[in-house]
Amino acid sequence: MPSEHPIVLYSRVRLARNFSDVPFRSRMTHRHADECIERVLQVLRDEKDVYHYFPMRGIRETQRQKMVEAHLISPDLFKADDRGAALVRDDEKVVLMVNEEDHLRIQGFVTGLDLPAAAQAAYEAEDALERKLSFAFDETWGYLTACPTNTGTGMRASVMLHLPMLTLLKQMGKVTQLAAKLGLTIRGMYGEGSEALGHVYQLSNQVTLGRTENELVEAVTAVATQIEEMEKNCREKACEKDPLAFEDQLERSMGLMCFARKMSIKEFFVHWSNLRIASAMGKNSVPLSVCDLLLKRAQRSHILFESGRELTEKEIDARRSDMIRSTLSIYH
Amino acid sequence: MLCEECNLRPAEVTVTTVIGGEKTVRHLCRVCMKKYQNGDMAQLMAAILSSMTRKSEDGDMACPDCGMTLSQFRKTGVLGCARCYQAFKEELKPLFARIQGRAQHAGRRPPTSPEELERIRKMEEVRKKMEDAVAAEEFEMAAKYRDELKALQNGKPQAAAQIKEENSDAQ
Repeated sequence: MPSEHPIVLYSRVRLARNFSDVPFRSRMTHRHADECIERVLQVLRDEKDVYHYFPMRGIRETQRQKMVEAHLISPDLFKADDRGAALVRDDEKVVLMVNEEDHLRIQGFVTGLDLPAAAQAAYEAEDALERKLSFAFDETWGYLTACPTNTGTGMRASVMLHLPMLTLLKQMGKVTQLAAKLGLTIRGMYGEGSEALGHVYQLSNQVTLGRTENELVEAVTAVATQIEEMEKNCREKACEKDPLAFEDQLERSMGLMCFARKMSIKEFFVHWSNLRIASAMGKNSVPLSVCDLLLKRAQRSHILFESGRELTEKEIDARRSDMIRSTLSIYH
Repeated sequence: MLCEECNLRPAEVTVTTVIGGEKTVRHLCRVCMKKYQNGDMAQLMAAILSSMTRKSEDGDMACPDCGMTLSQFRKTGVLGCARCYQAFKEELKPLFARIQGRAQHAGRRPPTSPEELERIRKMEEVRKKMEDAVAAEEFEMAAKYRDELKALQNGKPQAAAQIKEENSDAQ
Protein backbone atom coordinates (compact mmCIF):
# COMPACT_ATOMS: atom_id res chain seq x y z
CA MET A 1 0.00 0.00 0.00
CA PRO A 2 1.43 3.44 -0.89
CA SER A 3 2.73 5.13 2.22
CA GLU A 4 2.04 8.63 3.49
CA HIS A 5 5.76 9.48 3.37
CA PRO A 6 6.77 8.25 -0.07
CA ILE A 7 9.42 10.92 -0.64
CA VAL A 8 10.39 12.56 2.66
CA LEU A 9 12.37 10.31 5.03
CA TYR A 10 12.35 12.67 7.99
CA SER A 11 12.23 16.32 9.10
CA ARG A 12 14.74 17.95 11.40
CA VAL A 13 14.92 21.35 13.07
CA ARG A 14 18.19 22.54 14.56
CA LEU A 15 18.63 25.60 16.80
CA ALA A 16 22.14 27.03 17.34
CA ARG A 17 22.75 28.63 20.75
CA ASN A 18 25.83 29.96 22.57
CA PHE A 19 26.77 31.15 26.02
CA SER A 20 27.69 34.83 26.09
CA ASP A 21 30.48 34.38 28.65
CA VAL A 22 32.35 31.51 26.96
CA PRO A 23 34.47 31.93 23.79
CA PHE A 24 33.21 30.20 20.63
CA ARG A 25 34.86 27.07 19.28
CA SER A 26 37.72 28.81 17.45
CA ARG A 27 38.90 30.49 20.69
CA MET A 28 37.90 27.98 23.36
CA THR A 29 40.11 25.87 25.63
CA HIS A 30 39.32 22.40 26.96
CA ARG A 31 38.31 24.01 30.23
CA HIS A 32 35.72 26.13 28.38
CA ALA A 33 34.47 23.07 26.51
CA ASP A 34 34.04 21.10 29.75
CA GLU A 35 32.23 24.08 31.29
CA CYS A 36 29.68 24.08 28.43
CA ILE A 37 29.04 20.35 28.84
CA GLU A 38 28.73 20.69 32.60
CA ARG A 39 26.15 23.51 32.31
CA VAL A 40 23.96 21.44 30.02
CA LEU A 41 24.30 18.28 32.12
CA GLN A 42 23.39 20.22 35.26
CA VAL A 43 20.09 21.37 33.74
CA LEU A 44 19.20 17.96 32.33
CA ARG A 45 19.76 16.27 35.72
CA ASP A 46 16.62 18.01 36.99
CA GLU A 47 14.53 17.30 33.87
CA LYS A 48 11.98 14.52 33.66
CA ASP A 49 13.09 13.52 30.15
CA VAL A 50 15.84 10.91 30.07
CA TYR A 51 18.92 11.79 28.01
CA HIS A 52 21.84 9.47 27.23
CA TYR A 53 25.21 11.15 27.45
CA PHE A 54 27.90 10.45 24.82
CA PRO A 55 31.15 12.34 25.42
CA MET A 56 32.99 12.21 22.08
CA ARG A 57 36.35 11.44 23.69
CA GLY A 58 34.88 8.68 25.83
CA ILE A 59 33.40 6.53 23.07
CA ARG A 60 34.94 4.48 20.26
CA GLU A 61 35.32 5.91 16.77
CA THR A 62 32.99 3.22 15.37
CA GLN A 63 30.26 4.29 17.76
CA ARG A 64 30.71 7.95 16.88
CA GLN A 65 30.60 7.12 13.17
CA LYS A 66 27.49 5.01 13.76
CA MET A 67 25.80 8.08 15.28
CA VAL A 68 26.70 10.09 12.17
CA GLU A 69 25.27 7.37 9.92
CA ALA A 70 22.05 7.44 11.93
CA HIS A 71 21.99 11.26 11.55
CA LEU A 72 21.95 11.68 15.34
CA ILE A 73 25.11 13.81 15.22
CA SER A 74 26.85 15.78 12.49
CA PRO A 75 30.19 14.90 10.86
CA ASP A 76 31.48 18.07 12.54
CA LEU A 77 30.73 16.75 16.04
CA PHE A 78 32.33 13.43 15.08
CA LYS A 79 35.54 15.37 14.40
CA ALA A 80 35.30 17.23 17.73
CA ASP A 81 36.59 14.13 19.50
CA ASP A 82 38.51 16.12 22.11
CA ARG A 83 35.70 18.40 23.30
CA GLY A 84 32.29 17.51 21.85
CA ALA A 85 29.40 15.68 23.46
CA ALA A 86 25.98 14.47 22.42
CA LEU A 87 22.92 14.08 24.61
CA VAL A 88 20.32 11.86 23.02
CA ARG A 89 16.79 11.76 24.46
CA ASP A 90 15.76 8.15 24.95
CA ASP A 91 13.18 8.26 22.12
CA GLU A 92 15.89 9.76 19.81
CA LYS A 93 13.49 12.59 18.88
CA VAL A 94 15.72 15.23 20.49
CA VAL A 95 19.51 15.41 20.35
CA LEU A 96 21.69 18.10 21.92
CA MET A 97 25.13 18.51 20.39
CA VAL A 98 27.55 20.36 22.68
CA ASN A 99 30.69 22.07 21.34
CA GLU A 100 30.00 21.48 17.67
CA GLU A 101 30.41 24.74 15.69
CA ASP A 102 28.28 26.42 18.39
CA HIS A 103 28.20 25.70 22.11
CA LEU A 104 24.83 24.08 21.74
CA ARG A 105 22.81 22.71 18.85
CA ILE A 106 19.35 21.58 19.81
CA GLN A 107 17.82 19.20 17.27
CA GLY A 108 14.28 17.90 16.96
CA PHE A 109 13.53 14.93 14.64
CA VAL A 110 10.27 13.59 13.22
CA THR A 111 9.67 10.90 10.55
CA GLY A 112 8.11 12.09 7.28
CA LEU A 113 7.31 15.68 6.39
CA ASP A 114 6.36 17.47 9.61
CA LEU A 115 8.68 20.38 10.34
CA PRO A 116 6.27 22.07 12.80
CA ALA A 117 6.43 18.94 15.00
CA ALA A 118 10.23 18.80 14.73
CA ALA A 119 10.39 22.52 15.64
CA GLN A 120 8.09 21.94 18.61
CA ALA A 121 10.38 19.18 19.92
CA ALA A 122 13.40 21.51 19.62
CA TYR A 123 11.56 24.43 21.29
CA GLU A 124 10.54 22.26 24.25
CA ALA A 125 14.15 21.22 24.82
CA GLU A 126 15.28 24.83 24.41
CA ASP A 127 12.68 26.14 26.86
CA ALA A 128 13.83 23.65 29.48
CA LEU A 129 17.45 24.77 29.03
CA GLU A 130 16.63 28.47 28.85
CA ARG A 131 14.79 28.40 32.16
CA LYS A 132 18.18 27.90 33.82
CA LEU A 133 20.76 29.05 31.26
CA SER A 134 21.04 32.29 29.33
CA PHE A 135 22.14 32.31 25.70
CA ALA A 136 23.94 35.08 23.78
CA PHE A 137 21.22 37.28 22.29
CA ASP A 138 21.17 40.71 20.67
CA GLU A 139 18.07 42.83 20.12
CA THR A 140 19.05 43.48 16.49
CA TRP A 141 20.80 40.28 15.50
CA GLY A 142 18.92 37.75 17.59
CA TYR A 143 20.75 34.66 18.80
CA LEU A 144 24.50 35.09 18.25
CA THR A 145 26.31 32.20 16.60
CA ALA A 146 29.93 31.38 15.69
CA CYS A 147 29.22 31.72 11.98
CA PRO A 148 27.14 34.70 10.79
CA THR A 149 25.29 32.38 8.39
CA ASN A 150 23.35 31.06 11.42
CA THR A 151 22.74 34.29 13.32
CA GLY A 152 19.20 35.38 14.19
CA THR A 153 16.92 32.41 14.70
CA GLY A 154 19.91 30.03 14.64
CA MET A 155 17.45 27.73 12.92
CA ARG A 156 18.11 25.23 10.17
CA ALA A 157 14.92 23.44 9.15
CA SER A 158 15.76 20.44 6.95
CA VAL A 159 13.93 17.63 5.25
CA MET A 160 15.54 14.52 3.77
CA LEU A 161 14.11 13.78 0.36
CA HIS A 162 14.47 10.65 -1.74
CA LEU A 163 14.62 11.93 -5.34
CA PRO A 164 15.79 9.10 -7.63
CA MET A 165 13.67 9.97 -10.66
CA LEU A 166 14.46 13.68 -10.61
CA THR A 167 18.14 12.69 -10.42
CA LEU A 168 17.97 10.15 -13.27
CA LEU A 169 16.00 12.55 -15.48
CA LYS A 170 18.64 15.22 -14.75
CA GLN A 171 16.12 17.58 -13.15
CA MET A 172 18.13 18.30 -10.00
CA GLY A 173 19.57 21.51 -11.48
CA LYS A 174 16.03 22.82 -11.89
CA VAL A 175 15.13 21.72 -8.35
CA THR A 176 18.22 23.45 -6.92
CA GLN A 177 17.32 26.66 -8.75
CA LEU A 178 13.75 26.53 -7.48
CA ALA A 179 15.05 26.13 -3.92
CA ALA A 180 17.66 28.92 -4.31
CA LYS A 181 15.05 31.39 -5.54
CA LEU A 182 13.24 30.98 -2.23
CA GLY A 183 16.36 31.25 -0.07
CA LEU A 184 16.71 27.47 0.39
CA THR A 185 19.55 25.10 -0.38
CA ILE A 186 19.87 21.44 -1.43
CA ARG A 187 22.80 19.32 -0.30
CA GLY A 188 23.85 15.69 -0.07
CA MET A 189 22.76 13.22 2.59
CA TYR A 190 25.14 14.36 5.33
CA GLY A 191 24.83 18.11 4.75
CA GLU A 192 27.45 20.56 3.57
CA GLY A 193 29.81 19.15 0.95
CA SER A 194 28.42 15.59 1.05
CA GLU A 195 27.19 13.37 -1.78
CA ALA A 196 23.56 12.48 -2.47
CA LEU A 197 24.05 8.79 -1.72
CA GLY A 198 21.04 6.66 -2.61
CA HIS A 199 19.55 9.77 -4.25
CA VAL A 200 18.81 11.19 -0.81
CA TYR A 201 19.05 14.98 -0.55
CA GLN A 202 18.75 17.47 2.27
CA LEU A 203 16.63 20.58 1.66
CA SER A 204 17.04 23.42 4.18
CA ASN A 205 16.74 27.16 4.69
CA GLN A 206 19.84 29.21 3.94
CA VAL A 207 18.93 32.52 5.60
CA THR A 208 18.34 32.60 9.34
CA LEU A 209 17.95 36.31 10.15
CA GLY A 210 14.97 38.63 9.71
CA ARG A 211 12.38 35.85 9.36
CA THR A 212 10.39 34.19 12.09
CA GLU A 213 10.89 30.49 12.75
CA ASN A 214 7.38 29.85 11.40
CA GLU A 215 8.22 31.59 8.13
CA LEU A 216 11.31 29.42 7.71
CA VAL A 217 9.42 26.23 8.51
CA GLU A 218 6.64 27.19 6.08
CA ALA A 219 9.10 28.05 3.29
CA VAL A 220 10.91 24.70 3.56
CA THR A 221 7.62 22.80 3.83
CA ALA A 222 6.19 24.56 0.77
CA VAL A 223 9.22 23.81 -1.40
CA ALA A 224 9.50 20.23 -0.08
CA THR A 225 5.84 19.65 -1.00
CA GLN A 226 6.45 21.04 -4.48
CA ILE A 227 9.55 18.86 -5.01
CA GLU A 228 7.60 15.87 -3.70
CA GLU A 229 4.97 16.43 -6.40
CA MET A 230 7.65 16.75 -9.09
CA GLU A 231 9.25 13.46 -8.02
CA LYS A 232 5.87 11.67 -7.88
CA ASN A 233 5.04 12.88 -11.40
CA CYS A 234 8.39 11.68 -12.71
CA ARG A 235 7.83 8.26 -11.14
CA GLU A 236 4.35 7.95 -12.63
CA LYS A 237 5.57 9.06 -16.05
CA ALA A 238 8.47 6.57 -16.01
CA CYS A 239 6.03 3.83 -15.03
CA GLU A 240 3.53 4.78 -17.79
CA LYS A 241 6.18 5.23 -20.46
CA ASP A 242 7.69 1.76 -20.18
CA PRO A 243 6.08 -0.25 -17.37
CA LEU A 244 8.08 -3.39 -18.16
CA ALA A 245 11.48 -1.63 -18.02
CA PHE A 246 10.45 0.27 -14.89
CA GLU A 247 9.26 -2.78 -12.97
CA ASP A 248 12.21 -4.82 -14.20
CA GLN A 249 14.58 -2.23 -12.74
CA LEU A 250 12.82 -2.33 -9.37
CA GLU A 251 12.47 -6.13 -9.24
CA ARG A 252 16.10 -6.75 -10.21
CA SER A 253 17.21 -4.70 -7.20
CA MET A 254 14.82 -6.63 -4.94
CA GLY A 255 16.20 -9.87 -6.34
CA LEU A 256 19.79 -8.90 -5.72
CA MET A 257 19.07 -7.70 -2.22
CA CYS A 258 17.25 -10.93 -1.40
CA PHE A 259 19.81 -13.34 -2.84
CA ALA A 260 23.26 -11.75 -3.13
CA ARG A 261 25.97 -13.05 -0.80
CA LYS A 262 28.08 -9.88 -0.69
CA MET A 263 27.26 -6.26 -1.40
CA SER A 264 29.44 -3.15 -1.35
CA ILE A 265 27.97 0.06 0.09
CA LYS A 266 28.02 1.66 -3.38
CA GLU A 267 25.98 -1.18 -4.84
CA PHE A 268 23.69 -1.13 -1.82
CA PHE A 269 22.76 2.53 -2.38
CA VAL A 270 21.71 1.79 -5.98
CA HIS A 271 19.46 -1.12 -5.02
CA TRP A 272 18.19 0.52 -1.85
CA SER A 273 16.99 3.47 -3.93
CA ASN A 274 15.02 1.12 -6.22
CA LEU A 275 13.65 -0.79 -3.23
CA ARG A 276 12.35 2.44 -1.70
CA ILE A 277 10.67 3.51 -4.96
CA ALA A 278 8.92 0.13 -5.15
CA SER A 279 7.80 0.38 -1.49
CA ALA A 280 6.57 3.96 -1.92
CA MET A 281 4.57 3.00 -5.02
CA GLY A 282 3.07 -0.07 -3.38
CA LYS A 283 4.89 -2.44 -5.75
CA ASN A 284 6.20 -4.61 -2.92
CA SER A 285 5.17 -5.30 0.66
CA VAL A 286 8.28 -3.85 2.33
CA PRO A 287 7.18 -1.02 4.67
CA LEU A 288 8.99 2.30 4.16
CA SER A 289 10.07 2.22 7.81
CA VAL A 290 11.95 -1.03 7.04
CA CYS A 291 13.60 0.58 3.98
CA ASP A 292 14.73 3.50 6.12
CA LEU A 293 16.00 1.17 8.83
CA LEU A 294 18.03 -0.71 6.18
CA LEU A 295 19.61 2.58 5.11
CA LYS A 296 21.11 2.96 8.59
CA ARG A 297 21.94 -0.68 9.31
CA ALA A 298 23.73 -1.30 5.99
CA GLN A 299 26.33 1.34 6.65
CA ARG A 300 29.86 0.47 7.60
CA SER A 301 29.97 1.49 11.25
CA HIS A 302 26.62 -0.09 12.05
CA ILE A 303 27.97 -3.40 10.71
CA LEU A 304 31.28 -3.03 12.57
CA PHE A 305 29.51 -2.02 15.79
CA GLU A 306 27.18 -5.01 15.65
CA SER A 307 29.99 -7.47 14.94
CA GLY A 308 31.93 -6.12 17.93
CA ARG A 309 35.29 -6.76 16.25
CA GLU A 310 37.46 -5.55 13.35
CA LEU A 311 36.35 -6.86 9.94
CA THR A 312 37.99 -6.95 6.51
CA GLU A 313 36.24 -5.15 3.63
CA LYS A 314 35.15 -8.52 2.24
CA GLU A 315 33.64 -9.53 5.59
CA ILE A 316 31.79 -6.20 5.84
CA ASP A 317 30.26 -6.72 2.38
CA ALA A 318 29.23 -10.27 3.32
CA ARG A 319 27.69 -9.21 6.65
CA ARG A 320 25.82 -6.37 4.93
CA SER A 321 24.33 -8.88 2.55
CA ASP A 322 23.38 -11.25 5.39
CA MET A 323 21.63 -8.43 7.22
CA ILE A 324 19.70 -7.31 4.12
CA ARG A 325 18.67 -10.87 3.24
CA SER A 326 17.39 -11.65 6.71
CA THR A 327 15.53 -8.32 6.94
CA LEU A 328 13.80 -8.79 3.59
CA SER A 329 13.21 -12.55 3.91
CA ILE A 330 9.66 -12.13 5.21
CA TYR A 331 8.65 -9.82 2.36
CA HIS A 332 9.15 -12.01 -0.71
CA MET B 1 39.85 39.30 -16.04
CA LEU B 2 41.37 37.49 -13.04
CA CYS B 3 39.36 35.36 -10.62
CA GLU B 4 38.07 37.59 -7.80
CA GLU B 5 38.71 34.91 -5.25
CA CYS B 6 42.29 33.73 -5.89
CA ASN B 7 43.49 36.57 -8.07
CA LEU B 8 45.68 34.01 -9.85
CA ARG B 9 43.72 32.22 -12.54
CA PRO B 10 41.58 33.81 -15.28
CA ALA B 11 37.89 34.19 -14.39
CA GLU B 12 35.77 31.84 -16.50
CA VAL B 13 32.51 31.66 -14.57
CA THR B 14 30.11 34.34 -13.40
CA VAL B 15 28.24 33.59 -10.18
CA THR B 16 25.12 35.60 -9.46
CA THR B 17 23.67 35.23 -5.99
CA VAL B 18 20.36 36.77 -5.01
CA ILE B 19 19.68 36.76 -1.31
CA GLY B 20 16.75 38.74 0.04
CA GLY B 21 16.54 40.80 -3.16
CA GLU B 22 20.22 41.80 -3.00
CA LYS B 23 22.17 40.76 -6.10
CA THR B 24 25.88 39.90 -5.96
CA VAL B 25 27.87 39.15 -9.10
CA ARG B 26 31.27 37.47 -8.81
CA HIS B 27 33.70 36.36 -11.50
CA LEU B 28 35.57 33.19 -10.62
CA CYS B 29 37.93 30.60 -12.05
CA ARG B 30 36.82 26.96 -12.27
CA VAL B 31 38.89 25.91 -9.22
CA CYS B 32 37.31 28.50 -6.91
CA MET B 33 33.89 27.78 -8.42
CA LYS B 34 34.23 24.22 -7.08
CA LYS B 35 34.12 25.60 -3.53
CA TYR B 36 30.74 27.18 -4.26
CA GLN B 37 29.42 24.01 -5.84
CA ASN B 38 30.51 21.98 -2.82
CA GLY B 39 28.32 24.27 -0.77
CA ASP B 40 30.90 25.13 1.86
CA MET B 41 29.11 28.07 3.44
CA ALA B 42 31.97 29.19 5.69
CA GLN B 43 34.33 29.38 2.70
CA LEU B 44 31.72 31.11 0.58
CA MET B 45 31.15 33.66 3.28
CA ALA B 46 34.85 34.24 3.88
CA ALA B 47 35.17 34.85 0.12
CA ILE B 48 32.34 37.40 0.08
CA LEU B 49 33.74 39.04 3.18
CA SER B 50 37.28 39.34 1.85
CA SER B 51 36.00 40.78 -1.44
CA MET B 52 33.96 43.33 0.50
CA THR B 53 36.59 44.41 2.94
CA ARG B 54 39.58 44.41 0.62
CA LYS B 55 38.82 48.03 -0.24
CA SER B 56 39.11 49.35 3.31
CA GLU B 57 42.49 49.30 5.01
CA ASP B 58 41.46 49.92 8.58
CA GLY B 59 44.22 48.03 10.38
CA ASP B 60 43.84 44.86 12.43
CA MET B 61 41.10 45.47 14.96
CA ALA B 62 40.74 42.90 17.73
CA CYS B 63 37.85 41.82 19.95
CA PRO B 64 38.55 43.03 23.52
CA ASP B 65 37.13 39.83 25.02
CA CYS B 66 38.59 36.94 23.02
CA GLY B 67 41.36 38.63 21.03
CA MET B 68 40.02 37.50 17.64
CA THR B 69 41.33 39.91 15.02
CA LEU B 70 39.45 41.22 12.04
CA SER B 71 41.85 39.58 9.60
CA GLN B 72 41.38 36.20 11.33
CA PHE B 73 37.63 36.64 11.00
CA ARG B 74 37.95 37.56 7.34
CA LYS B 75 40.05 34.47 6.74
CA THR B 76 37.93 31.93 8.60
CA GLY B 77 34.44 33.42 8.44
CA VAL B 78 33.76 32.48 12.08
CA LEU B 79 33.65 34.76 15.12
CA GLY B 80 35.53 34.19 18.38
CA CYS B 81 32.87 35.06 20.95
CA ALA B 82 29.55 36.86 21.44
CA ARG B 83 31.37 40.14 22.05
CA CYS B 84 32.91 39.99 18.53
CA TYR B 85 29.49 41.05 17.23
CA GLN B 86 29.97 44.42 18.92
CA ALA B 87 33.69 44.68 18.14
CA PHE B 88 33.19 44.05 14.40
CA LYS B 89 29.75 45.66 14.18
CA GLU B 90 30.60 47.88 11.22
CA GLU B 91 32.06 44.95 9.25
CA LEU B 92 29.12 42.73 10.04
CA LYS B 93 26.36 45.11 8.96
CA PRO B 94 27.09 44.92 5.20
CA LEU B 95 27.93 41.22 5.53
CA PHE B 96 24.49 40.50 7.00
CA ALA B 97 22.88 42.57 4.28
CA ARG B 98 24.54 40.32 1.71
CA ILE B 99 24.28 36.87 3.23
CA GLN B 100 21.03 37.23 5.13
CA GLY B 101 19.25 39.95 3.16
CA ARG B 102 17.83 41.45 6.34
CA ALA B 103 19.42 42.87 9.46
CA GLN B 104 16.69 42.81 12.12
CA HIS B 105 15.91 39.69 14.10
CA ALA B 106 12.24 38.69 13.92
CA GLY B 107 12.17 35.30 15.61
CA ARG B 108 12.04 33.79 19.08
CA ARG B 109 13.69 35.57 21.98
CA PRO B 110 14.87 34.57 25.43
CA PRO B 111 12.11 34.60 28.03
CA THR B 112 12.18 37.94 29.82
CA SER B 113 9.86 39.49 32.36
CA PRO B 114 8.49 43.04 31.78
CA GLU B 115 10.88 44.26 34.54
CA GLU B 116 13.81 42.67 32.73
CA LEU B 117 12.85 44.32 29.44
CA GLU B 118 12.57 47.68 31.19
CA ARG B 119 16.05 47.16 32.68
CA ILE B 120 17.49 46.43 29.21
CA ARG B 121 15.78 49.53 27.77
CA LYS B 122 17.14 51.66 30.64
CA MET B 123 20.63 50.30 30.09
CA GLU B 124 20.54 51.35 26.45
CA GLU B 125 19.33 54.83 27.45
CA VAL B 126 22.06 55.30 30.07
CA ARG B 127 24.73 53.91 27.74
CA LYS B 128 23.78 56.50 25.14
CA LYS B 129 23.86 59.32 27.72
CA MET B 130 27.29 58.14 28.83
CA GLU B 131 28.62 58.15 25.27
CA ASP B 132 27.18 61.65 24.71
CA ALA B 133 28.80 62.88 27.94
CA VAL B 134 32.18 61.48 26.84
CA ALA B 135 31.79 63.13 23.44
CA ALA B 136 31.02 66.44 25.18
CA GLU B 137 34.04 65.89 27.46
CA GLU B 138 31.82 65.95 30.56
CA PHE B 139 33.82 63.21 32.21
CA GLU B 140 32.41 63.62 35.70
CA MET B 141 28.89 63.08 34.37
CA ALA B 142 30.10 60.21 32.21
CA ALA B 143 31.58 58.50 35.30
CA LYS B 144 28.23 58.79 37.09
CA TYR B 145 26.40 57.29 34.11
CA ARG B 146 29.00 54.52 34.07
CA ASP B 147 28.19 53.70 37.73
CA GLU B 148 24.49 53.79 36.96
CA LEU B 149 25.05 51.43 34.04
CA LYS B 150 27.09 49.10 36.20
CA ALA B 151 24.34 48.94 38.80
CA LEU B 152 21.78 48.18 36.07
CA GLN B 153 24.04 45.52 34.60
CA ASN B 154 24.22 43.84 37.99
CA GLY B 155 20.43 43.86 38.09
CA LYS B 156 20.14 46.45 40.86
CA PRO B 157 17.55 48.92 39.61
CA GLN B 158 17.21 50.43 43.12
CA ALA B 159 20.88 51.28 43.33
CA ALA B 160 20.68 52.64 39.78
CA ALA B 161 17.71 54.84 40.73
CA GLN B 162 19.68 56.24 43.64
CA ILE B 163 22.66 57.03 41.41
CA LYS B 164 20.29 58.61 38.91
CA GLU B 165 18.85 60.83 41.64
CA GLU B 166 22.33 61.98 42.55
CA ASN B 167 23.01 62.70 38.89
CA SER B 168 19.87 64.85 38.68
CA ASP B 169 20.95 66.71 41.80
CA ALA B 170 24.36 67.32 40.27
CA GLN B 171 22.72 68.75 37.18
